[in-house]
Amino acid sequence: MNSQTNLKIGLFFISAIAIISIGFKIKPVVQNYDSFSPEQVYKVNYNYFFKSGDKRTSVKTFIPSSNSRQRISRKKSKSDSTLSFTKEVSMHNGIKGIWKTDTTHTFHALNYEFVFEGKTKAYHIPKQFNQVSEQYKSYLLPSQNIQSEDKKIDDLAAQLRQNTGNDEQVLKNVFEYVSNIPSAPIITLTDALTTIEQNRASCNGKSRLFVALCRNLGYPSRVAGGIILENTNKRTSHVWAEVLINQRWIPFDALNNHYANIPANYLEIYKGDEFLITHTPGIQFDYTYQIDELSHISFLQLNSEEIRELSSVSLWRLVEGGILPKNALNLLLLLPIGGLLVAFLRNVVGLKTFGVFLPVLIAFSLLHTGFVSGILLFVSLILLVGLLSYPFDKIGLLYTPKLVISLTIMVGLMIMTTILGIHYDIAWLTTLTFFPTIILTIAAERFSRAIVEDGYKMAIDKLWQTLFVTGICYGVLSWSALPAILIIFPECILLIIAAAMLLGRYIGIRWVEFYRFRPILN
Amino acid sequence: MFSTFLNMKPRKKSKVIGLNERNIKLIYPNNAKKHYPLADDKVLTKEILHQYNIPCAETYAVIEYNSDIKKAWQTCKKYNTMAIKPANGCGGGGIKIIKKNLNGDWTSSGKVITERQIFQHMAATIMGFFSLGSHDRVLIEQCIEPHPFFHEIYPQGVPDFRIITLDHKPLMGMLRMPTDRSDGKANLHQNGVGIGVDMGKGTLTQVFDGKNYFDYHPDSKFLVKDIPIPHWEEILEISVATAKAFPLNYLGIDIVIDKYKGPQIMEINVRPGLGIQLVNKQGLKEIINTSEDII
Repeated sequence: MNSQTNLKIGLFFISAIAIISIGFKIKPVVQNYDSFSPEQVYKVNYNYFFKSGDKRTSVKTFIPSSNSRQRISRKKSKSDSTLSFTKEVSMHNGIKGIWKTDTTHTFHALNYEFVFEGKTKAYHIPKQFNQVSEQYKSYLLPSQNIQSEDKKIDDLAAQLRQNTGNDEQVLKNVFEYVSNIPSAPIITLTDALTTIEQNRASCNGKSRLFVALCRNLGYPSRVAGGIILENTNKRTSHVWAEVLINQRWIPFDALNNHYANIPANYLEIYKGDEFLITHTPGIQFDYTYQIDELSHISFLQLNSEEIRELSSVSLWRLVEGGILPKNALNLLLLLPIGGLLVAFLRNVVGLKTFGVFLPVLIAFSLLHTGFVSGILLFVSLILLVGLLSYPFDKIGLLYTPKLVISLTIMVGLMIMTTILGIHYDIAWLTTLTFFPTIILTIAAERFSRAIVEDGYKMAIDKLWQTLFVTGICYGVLSWSALPAILIIFPECILLIIAAAMLLGRYIGIRWVEFYRFRPILN
Repeated sequence: MFSTFLNMKPRKKSKVIGLNERNIKLIYPNNAKKHYPLADDKVLTKEILHQYNIPCAETYAVIEYNSDIKKAWQTCKKYNTMAIKPANGCGGGGIKIIKKNLNGDWTSSGKVITERQIFQHMAATIMGFFSLGSHDRVLIEQCIEPHPFFHEIYPQGVPDFRIITLDHKPLMGMLRMPTDRSDGKANLHQNGVGIGVDMGKGTLTQVFDGKNYFDYHPDSKFLVKDIPIPHWEEILEISVATAKAFPLNYLGIDIVIDKYKGPQIMEINVRPGLGIQLVNKQGLKEIINTSEDII
């Protein structure tokens, strides 16, 4: 009884401390809740340097604005006082920032800074597209570099339309054709026709050809421009295409193979076949884009310092410090949650699994490999290794050397499958290395032993249960806000200990035992 | 709040003990981990049984090192039958029963086996082939010949009794019998059947095959209900004696009845399974509670 009381007091204190500490943070967290939930956040700086010419000199550049998948905030323009800054809004293309100076033959540096928060956005393409309304007819017309009415484009478009049943298939053919053109880092302007002739192009040639083909086929489309954000300084911008489908502009990037979707790190800046920067001709000009990835909590509309000030009890400093890679930190934080889940499923539900924490680790691998293909790979690995090591079981080898053989077979299979995946260009086959090799080997070993000891029926049954538990773990761990919650509320770890203590003293009948003992329970 | 959670569950489904409750209420407080080897290692178990003169199969030899195999064999080969077991084997793996045939050759499972093969088996056992890689010992002992009572019920394999004891008191028992589908094995999860035992009367009750209850053995159709078990008093006596001999207060004791020597302890188990409740149609907790009331 005494130990029971101690246990209860211990549980009470642990939970009380954790809940009080969480309580202090709840209010500011709720107040700053952000429903936008960006996946990636960057601070971007345009840095331009130029020497003004003989007379009035101006530099113009497109500046981004917020939309449904990107949020632009904390915009700041910095330059010396002789430069004047104005904005010009164009209906079709976007917003231009214009810097002007009356000084002549002097050096100027200007800087435009903003914070970008972005989300991936994928679109569904309907089979048939609606009629194009009058206001968008201009997006069907040819231009100097998008020769959509040229004979060559005509022929190519007709060829791509052959044997297709609906608009979606036509669009898919066009996209595939342009995607399959070898890419080359050509910086100079490539028009649509040249792209066909050269049969190689960079983003600007590919997007012009894509737009030309779409316009030829009667789909209003335009070039879109921006920057692919990475944690680096760069000078290259990027263009892709947009097609108007049922009143919505849908993005297509034939260079990086994004069909009807736009990744979280694509900064959209302008629309139309434009230049990102224009300036008075004949001046000395240089530029660079300085891009810094910012740590963020997706559900909080707070910047790094504000999150740090939220509470001294948080792991934010660890995130900011960048000492631990983000994935490693997430893995560490999610392990106890996954463990608690498995403990619950084993001791309260009564499911049996190969290896206690195997389902958690497999669930982590599935986050990288994708659920369905990952589960397929996992099951085939277990079955194959079990099968291939069976003859070695028969020979009568000692346990540890036999395990080495299984491990070697596992590694061999992984390498072979990866090679096959690369050779035949099947992406999901190359994801095998995300699996925890040794734990998987031991699971395969236990599986083959279970077949010998309990028969294949029981072994398969246990494998099913393992998969089921893995699925549940995956469901919980794939919730992307979970690591962020644990970073802000590390007290949850204490609650996990309290919950595990409760589970550890749980003496109720397991759910599966209700089934097992049903003849005597009723 | 926590206390209601802790106390609420067990009361609801009173009589049956599940794995969680078995571990927390029966195994952890009654069986200290340091004493587990006394049950898990058959050689240690038999040393204690011999010490207290509790009947069990006669030990012919215990072999610890490869170099002792030949020497031990010299003392053993005069017997006509023997059982060769790994001391720490699990799930019955590595047990070999060998017999001399009419020509004087050794046979195992009906096939002739050379002395060399027997030695190899012993060497493999010592290297830990049947005990997950750790060094092990070979136990050579007298081969039990089952009492004719069992043959009437089902003619093949070696049936045994399982008696659960708590604080030296027998709580529940069952008889485990092989079936046509169990390949000579008597374990419930290997398709054997369990037959309930009326502990007071010493009679068999019903047969349970994992799904259904019968009054007879499902293969031989032999009616077992209310049949008295031979040597029942002795079985209870040696169970109590065994429970007292070991510092383990919650035990599953496996007993066979030898044709000539009567009940013998086969092995003891510190984590006895819970299927016995199904076989007897009775929850363990019910019995624990009533036996406490009597005290």
